[in-house]
Amino acid sequence: MKDFFRNNGLLLLIAAVLLALVTAVCTMLLGGTADPLSDLAGFLTAPIRNGISSFANWTEERYSDAFEREQLKSENEELKRQVAQLQAQARDAEAALEENKLLKEHLGLRPSQREFEEELVSITAWSSSNWESAFTISKGSSLGVEAGDCVVDEYWNLVGVVSQVGENWATVSTLIDSDLELGGMLARTGSAAILEGDFSLMGEGKLKLSFLPENSELMAGDLVTTSGRGGVYPPGLVVGHVEEVHTEASGMTQYAVIIPQTELEELKQVFVIKSFTIIE
Amino acid sequence: MTRSDFIIKWGVYTLALVPVWILELYVLSRYPLFGVKPMLLPLAVVAVAVLEGSTAGGGFGLFVGVLCDACYHDTFGGMTLGLCLVGVCAGAVSRYALRQNLLGCLLCSLGGLLLVDGARVLVRLFWQTAPLDALLRVALPEVFVSLLFVFPVYALELWVFKRVPKKTVL
Repeated sequence: MKDFFRNNGLLLLIAAVLLALVTAVCTMLLGGTADPLSDLAGFLTAPIRNGISSFANWTEERYSDAFEREQLKSENEELKRQVAQLQAQARDAEAALEENKLLKEHLGLRPSQREFEEELVSITAWSSSNWESAFTISKGSSLGVEAGDCVVDEYWNLVGVVSQVGENWATVSTLIDSDLELGGMLARTGSAAILEGDFSLMGEGKLKLSFLPENSELMAGDLVTTSGRGGVYPPGLVVGHVEEVHTEASGMTQYAVIIPQTELEELKQVFVIKSFTIIE
Repeated sequence: MTRSDFIIKWGVYTLALVPVWILELYVLSRYPLFGVKPMLLPLAVVAVAVLEGSTAGGGFGLFVGVLCDACYHDTFGGMTLGLCLVGVCAGAVSRYALRQNLLGCLLCSLGGLLLVDGARVLVRLFWQTAPLDALLRVALPEVFVSLLFVFPVYALELWVFKRVPKKTVL
């Protein structure tokens, strides 16, 4: 029996247990910073990731040029109509802003300020695991990206949060990942709640809005944004819309299912918010 | 087997791992099959273990596990232990209970994948992060879609096995 185990890799198993323990301890101690081995692996594989990503993007663009021309034409027409509507709204908003500024000056209020320092990054790889929703981006700690930074798309919709950072790469957990939790707010009522990824909803590309206040009157289609409470994440980033409201298994509280505003599968480039100053 | 034979042999096995690794990490993660991202690296470990035996399989599993922990997100060293265990068990089971062929590899792969995903399910159940039915909805399709890749992965490793020096001494 002793020989069986000796001949069948008992020592290897002991080595594996020790290595696994070292890796687990390193990962836990370093928090959002990648352990040296992961950092090295991420650093060395960056050219492969970037090359494959560029080739895949190029191929997808050629494909859509060849086969989706008609769809793009109709989308373009629709977008032109939307641009015209938005331009009209922007003209009205400009007048309102001017009026608001004058009123603030009259009342001696501090002017509101929203400043963001963002970094444009490319998505170079999606997680190969079905157990999480995450992707790798092309920039890391060398350019000031830190764990906990918010990631948004070009329309300023929340995409996720940086969860691990290496030298020239970082991993972003998307807003539907089951590990994600941040403050959310219903734009219509101003009620605060907790936005959290849910494993059951992750496969459907949705997330949960939990711990809703008792008197919150939710309606399907309500806009949900980040609340910014605690100052860790900026407020006002669009998260998504309420799809439906359910009662928790305990029967005591309700939660809403949220459909993200951002189209995760279509993302190629995103912005990492490295720092922000917000005065309301 | 000389030291140089040993290095050549495992160098070639490592090279054979590169296309499997690129396919899993960068291709199938972007274009999932039936909406599922298959696990290919455990299959490579099982194939090598079936062909080379449990000690070699355990060593290869240890190496691939370290690689997985370095490249995957939030595995906390679990793949190092898991794949080493898969390698040792697959080598021993295929030698003593099954045959060292494609069928043996298929059955060992099924066991290996169930072991890896079973551990994931148990960890999540322990931390109460998700209900069992939601976890099984992810685990079972992953196992069965991954099994489709046993054939090409085994063919690749068999091709390498037939061309490298035999009789592993560790």
